[in-house]
Amino acid sequence: MGSMEASTAPENGSAAGGGAGGKACNGAGAASNGGGMERRLRSSAASASWAAHVPLEVGTRVMCRWRDQKLHPVKVIERRKGSSSSSPADYEYYVHYTEFNRRLDEWVKLEQLDLDTVETDVDEKVEDKATSLKMTRHQKRKIDETHVEQGHEELDAASLREHEEFTKVKNIAKIELGRYEIDTWYFSPFPPEYNDCPKLFFCEFCLNFMKRKEQLQRHMKKCDLKHPPGDEIYRSGTLSMFEVDGKKNKVYGQNLCYLAKLFLDHKTLYYDVDLFLFYVLCECDDRGCHMVGYFSKEKHSEESYNLACILTLPPYQRKGYGKFLIAFSYELSKKEGKVGTPERPLSDLGLLSYRGYWTRVLLEILKKHKGNISIKELSDMTAIKADDILSTLQSLDLIQYRKGQHVICADPKVLDRHLKAAGRGGLDVDVSKLIWTPYKEQG
Amino acid sequence: MSRLSFRPRPLDIHKKLPILKSVREFEDEEPGVAPIASARAGVLLRHSGAELTAPAGNNATEGEGNPPSKKNIQEIPTPQFDAVDTYERDYTRTFAQPTSYIRGRGARAEIGEFVEYDLDNEDEDWLENFNNERKNINPEKLEVLLFKLEILDHKARERAGAITPTFIGPVPVLLQLDAAMEALQYLSVRYNIFEDVYNYWKAKRERWQKPILRRLQPPPPVNDTNPYNVFRPREKAHRLHTRRMQRRENNIQSFEKLRLVRRNLEQAKALMDALIKREETKREAMTSQVNLQRIQMKYKHEAQLVEDGTTLSGFQQTSSRFESSDDDYADSDDTTTEQPYIRPAVFHPRFPANKLSVIPPLRIKRERELKRRPQQNGWVFKRDPEEPVFLFTRPLDPDKLVAAGIKAPPDPPIENGATAPPFRCRGRIGRGGRIIFDRWNPLLRTPIGQETSCYAPYGHRPPSPEG
Repeated sequence: MGSMEASTAPENGSAAGGGAGGKACNGAGAASNGGGMERRLRSSAASASWAAHVPLEVGTRVMCRWRDQKLHPVKVIERRKGSSSSSPADYEYYVHYTEFNRRLDEWVKLEQLDLDTVETDVDEKVEDKATSLKMTRHQKRKIDETHVEQGHEELDAASLREHEEFTKVKNIAKIELGRYEIDTWYFSPFPPEYNDCPKLFFCEFCLNFMKRKEQLQRHMKKCDLKHPPGDEIYRSGTLSMFEVDGKKNKVYGQNLCYLAKLFLDHKTLYYDVDLFLFYVLCECDDRGCHMVGYFSKEKHSEESYNLACILTLPPYQRKGYGKFLIAFSYELSKKEGKVGTPERPLSDLGLLSYRGYWTRVLLEILKKHKGNISIKELSDMTAIKADDILSTLQSLDLIQYRKGQHVICADPKVLDRHLKAAGRGGLDVDVSKLIWTPYKEQG
Repeated sequence: MSRLSFRPRPLDIHKKLPILKSVREFEDEEPGVAPIASARAGVLLRHSGAELTAPAGNNATEGEGNPPSKKNIQEIPTPQFDAVDTYERDYTRTFAQPTSYIRGRGARAEIGEFVEYDLDNEDEDWLENFNNERKNINPEKLEVLLFKLEILDHKARERAGAITPTFIGPVPVLLQLDAAMEALQYLSVRYNIFEDVYNYWKAKRERWQKPILRRLQPPPPVNDTNPYNVFRPREKAHRLHTRRMQRRENNIQSFEKLRLVRRNLEQAKALMDALIKREETKREAMTSQVNLQRIQMKYKHEAQLVEDGTTLSGFQQTSSRFESSDDDYADSDDTTTEQPYIRPAVFHPRFPANKLSVIPPLRIKRERELKRRPQQNGWVFKRDPEEPVFLFTRPLDPDKLVAAGIKAPPDPPIENGATAPPFRCRGRIGRGGRIIFDRWNPLLRTPIGQETSCYAPYGHRPPSPEG
């Protein structure tokens, strides 16, 4: 298994570490058990007893050195025997950093863990019980809400638990895609033949995946694709958008879904791809059209969704591509003459991008608009669903109730401040370069 | 304080909202409060059904007082990535973007010549061993061979009708070595090598129990709940189950469907009309028969009277099958008083009669007189033509009833001087010899005396054999 050094290579520091645990516990996620952990850390005898804990049980809470060289609280999700010896120290642990999203869960070696801070799950349960008795129902609900990771609001607790159980350990640790080797974020249900494979090699163009580099190199010699296998519907500079029909290019659509699931927590691959269209955004150069991100869209949505899944590949994140994809999805809706909304749940990153997009679009209109305007009119102008407009304006505190009626507060200074906070719009969609007709069922 | 404590009206998305450009426009009302103060949270409306981060407001990422979203974006940590150092070598600089937008070609499977199969670890390891011994096949060739074997096997299964739409069990290997060799002759692979490759492929296929080319693997069944199995087919029929799809659409098909429904209903109506007609005809036939019997009996009595009274000769009284006695009549369950032709006054039980066919006209006149007489009776009114005639029953005799102290039920009291119709009832001898006064005709469920009206819809002409 070559996965270990791979997933932790960048931050392999020395294992010696001062007990900075108390400080790390200031993070929001660990607030509920921080106190107990600190106490334990101080009271436990230095290193004499650590051998008693090894190998650590699943469920153990402990501090772990992360890539920032600081200790962070983690929970052991899974463990596996190392390959070399049968010593109890030779275990690897799959840990969840309780301060962070699950996408940062990873396999770590024993030396990254600060065994002085070991705390078994039993303690935590007792503590939970004690606190729960004192809490009001409201407080408890609050804690439950904040405890659950952001972006899962639309899922009930039971289905969330089920989801986390079956995806609790990433099966693929890394992928190679074109120019980049990328750490994966989440589990993805690849076919069983790929179970024992910590790293997958993707063909950049047809997205076929292989287990060995030589296989990829052999594939690249014969692969005849230099761009996604659909129609180019937009080109501006080096940026191109391709529309791929999941029915006509089933294998490509499935490959894309397998790949995307590695970076999307709440994406389902339950149903086949033929009812979807994939809009693949590419940066083009003389090697071909390199995918930077995509969004998928149902051919016929009964809930007026104009976007099902959206992903910017990690190497291309924070460059404005996500905003471009969102803007593009609304341009398609405008061409269709329909109002659209993204399918829920949105991830933490997705929600931020959408909030930013909605804020920018709506506030730009409000800044320029003269006279009164209804939410419906805003919706018609932007193809943004009325509910999304309302929630955006309300979260910015721009809709207020004055003298028995609702008004929109559009003080230029306030709007500018919000616009600044929402960030830049990234790359603009030049509608004149979009050559596209809405999907029509053939026959 | 002008702060509102009531819940604001829900917002109508169609209503034009004023846009206040200046803080002062609404500050004059509320001089002490800064426009961005989040204290206004309580005034915020809640749009029904809209998910809001708002009133509790400021812990949402885009909360108002602190503009932190940009900072927050950077704070969400993500896993990392590296550059691949062999990239420049692996991917050639051979792409020239055409000036026009690229149009997609068909899928690879349709174009045909592309070798879709890539060797996996297992294949490579096997090949390495194989080549160590003989050194005579390269990986590309093996890819072609395995790919072609997969395709041929798929075609063989197609021909055998063994293709299942979903994965319901192991997918068998149907391709035979000889057939494969023959089909792939053009690849000019030596027979013994081909045989080894075929055997390797077959062993692998049987171990996997499914095609090794992913495109040919059947998807999991629709009802499979294993979350590790993916890309189930979504049946079209399923979508029809949603309420929205069930709603009838305004198109030709639904028009045709409605026309069919109409035609069916019209046929049913015609059938029912015919049925009604048949039943009416049957009833008419029955009535006619009954009347015929009545007439026959009447004539029989008439003949007797005539014989008794006028002693007409020439009418031979021959023995008859219809010979009957008083006892016979009493056997029937019900008798009514309104069978004038069998009134006791004219009844001669022991008189055998069958000379119905020879009653002279004169006797018919008398018969009419006889018949009219009971109608003047106080509580026997119009004969109901529809009522099944109770032949062979003994009528009630009002005089005897009076003598026995039995009276007909009195008329109901007249209220407010309104002229209620006289209360009518009919007496008869019921089952077990009880005397019954009917206020309603038990068969027609109408008040006595109004029976005919309910037959009007059927266009029934009440037969009135007695004129």
